[in-house]
Amino acid sequence: MSARERDMLMKSNINYLRFRFFHRFCHFLIIISFFGLVLTGMPLAFRSYDWAKWLYELFGGYPTAGYIHRICALITFFAAFIHFIYLFYNISVKKKKGFFWGPNSLLIQPRDIFDIIGDIKWFMGIGKKPTFDRWIYWEKFEYLSLMWGTLVMAVTGLILWFPVQFTKIIPVSVASIIDLPSIALIVHRYEAILAAGFIFTIHFFHTHLLPEKMPVDEAIFTGRITEEEFKHERLNQFKRLENQRQLDSYKVAPPSLFVSFLTRLFAVPILITGLIMVGLMFSALLVWAI
Amino acid sequence: MVYKPKRNMVGLSSLKKYRLISFLITFVATALVLPAILFAGDNGPCIECHTKQEKLNVLEKAKVDPISGEIKVASMLIDEAIYKASAHGGEDFFCIDCHQDLDGVDLTEGHKPNLKPVDCITFCHDDPAEDYLQSSHVKLMKENNKDVPTCKDCHSGLSYHYTPLGEKSPRDVPRGVDPLHRRLTVEACGSCHQDYLDSYKNNAHGQVTSLGYTITDVPVCFDCHGKHKILNSSDPESKVGKERILETCGSCHANANASFVKHVEHPQIKNITYYKTMLAAIKGARSNPENLKKVIKNPQTILCIVFVMYIGILAFTFSSFGLHSLLSWFAIVRDERKRKGHADEEQH
Repeated sequence: MSARERDMLMKSNINYLRFRFFHRFCHFLIIISFFGLVLTGMPLAFRSYDWAKWLYELFGGYPTAGYIHRICALITFFAAFIHFIYLFYNISVKKKKGFFWGPNSLLIQPRDIFDIIGDIKWFMGIGKKPTFDRWIYWEKFEYLSLMWGTLVMAVTGLILWFPVQFTKIIPVSVASIIDLPSIALIVHRYEAILAAGFIFTIHFFHTHLLPEKMPVDEAIFTGRITEEEFKHERLNQFKRLENQRQLDSYKVAPPSLFVSFLTRLFAVPILITGLIMVGLMFSALLVWAI
Repeated sequence: MVYKPKRNMVGLSSLKKYRLISFLITFVATALVLPAILFAGDNGPCIECHTKQEKLNVLEKAKVDPISGEIKVASMLIDEAIYKASAHGGEDFFCIDCHQDLDGVDLTEGHKPNLKPVDCITFCHDDPAEDYLQSSHVKLMKENNKDVPTCKDCHSGLSYHYTPLGEKSPRDVPRGVDPLHRRLTVEACGSCHQDYLDSYKNNAHGQVTSLGYTITDVPVCFDCHGKHKILNSSDPESKVGKERILETCGSCHANANASFVKHVEHPQIKNITYYKTMLAAIKGARSNPENLKKVIKNPQTILCIVFVMYIGILAFTFSSFGLHSLLSWFAIVRDERKRKGHADEEQH
């Protein structure tokens, strides 16, 4: 896709709503808290490197950086809490269908297995690029690993926050074999490296830094995508909504230039910060390996 | 108080000119500021000259360390603020407590150039010495005929003197709560106990001190193991032994319980020797089942398993998803080229 074609797509007047305000707000909360957590926590994991000392000092050092870390953890808890309230409300109160099964579900479906096989065929050049519905399999994987990761980080983080209270509930005979705070520290540290590394490489390169999106996929900030983008990325969903005659209900006005500008102003520095972080983390791995 | 300026000048006439002048300045200044006789309970006369370069005849002196033979340059200048903040800078502590040969000396003509070496132990630091003699360090020395640390092995590194010239003096040794002092003790212990320092750095406490934060909120070696009377954990008097560990951990973690104090402070997750021990125990499971049981019951084992598991998860996730990203990028670029090729053909 040439730059001109891309511009044509961007200028398209027909826009559809992909993310509602609630989801954009949750994503925003997660960005803020995740970066706060990574920037104040990663220095501890990479404590022997000078950049870690510099970064830790930048955030106030001990104990200020720790307070920032805990505040960001509380923001993450809040985001997770409202997310589950949303799910509970829609499933139990509004009795909406499709959260666990079907094209709107974020859980792995049989269809995803075929998509993965289709993608592998496409990579090897023996098939066409598969078309996707509302959620592509790696997006589902990212969502599920975010859920799992948040749970693991929250539990281990709380153990590290309140070690005395947590150890109180396990008997001494067990505690002398299973040292809860130490396990929590190791899990917290390496799950953090996994999460930060995953978000700053896989999530960034699969979503924002794709050749056709560079530098940022604005959909999660403005909530809107153009018809051409919709057809290119999620043809199955587009056709499905067309057949169900629901497409018109998703039509919205294109995002204003100001909102587009704000999105870039916010997202680009954040993306660069993440890439620098993962670069430093990866360089540490190289130093260690050598 | 005696004033005999004329006779003094005659007596010093053989000195070089610049020394004479500097002596004069010192002398006049000393004569102007009273009292000239030094008494216990007042640091004023000492501070008066020793904080000002122009009032001193000699700014620095070379000293040979009686134990190491190392030559040190000690400054005769005192930085008052640093001295006051140091371990020796308390309100009820005076210069002549250490420099006892200056007690009651007439300072009109300055004092004699070479004072007796300061005796740190006899009157002040005798308790730590006694504690130290009962410690595991000394016990091991006697048992194994090994070179274990003497006072200076640990304390010489701490005797920092913060003049602009950067010399050392035990006078300005920082207080025990000073973060610099605390950080240096970690290095001092680690210079012999490298493996313990490495494993400590893997822990929650050690990861913070590794970043350079050694305020009293974060424990360094001596907070848990004690200062002079460091004992093996099997000793009932040891700070990390069964009987006192609750009290030791509890000094920071209020309400520390019996399960909490089972904490592994030195995780062996990055120590290849422990993995070898684990493997050996598995290999010798039939011939020595007791050994395997011991390894399984060791809390280090589970930490090592969790660590290795996570390294595996990290390696698998990043290699598989990295490959996925790479391949999808290649495929996008390939498709684009193909499309362009078709477009070109159509144009022709």
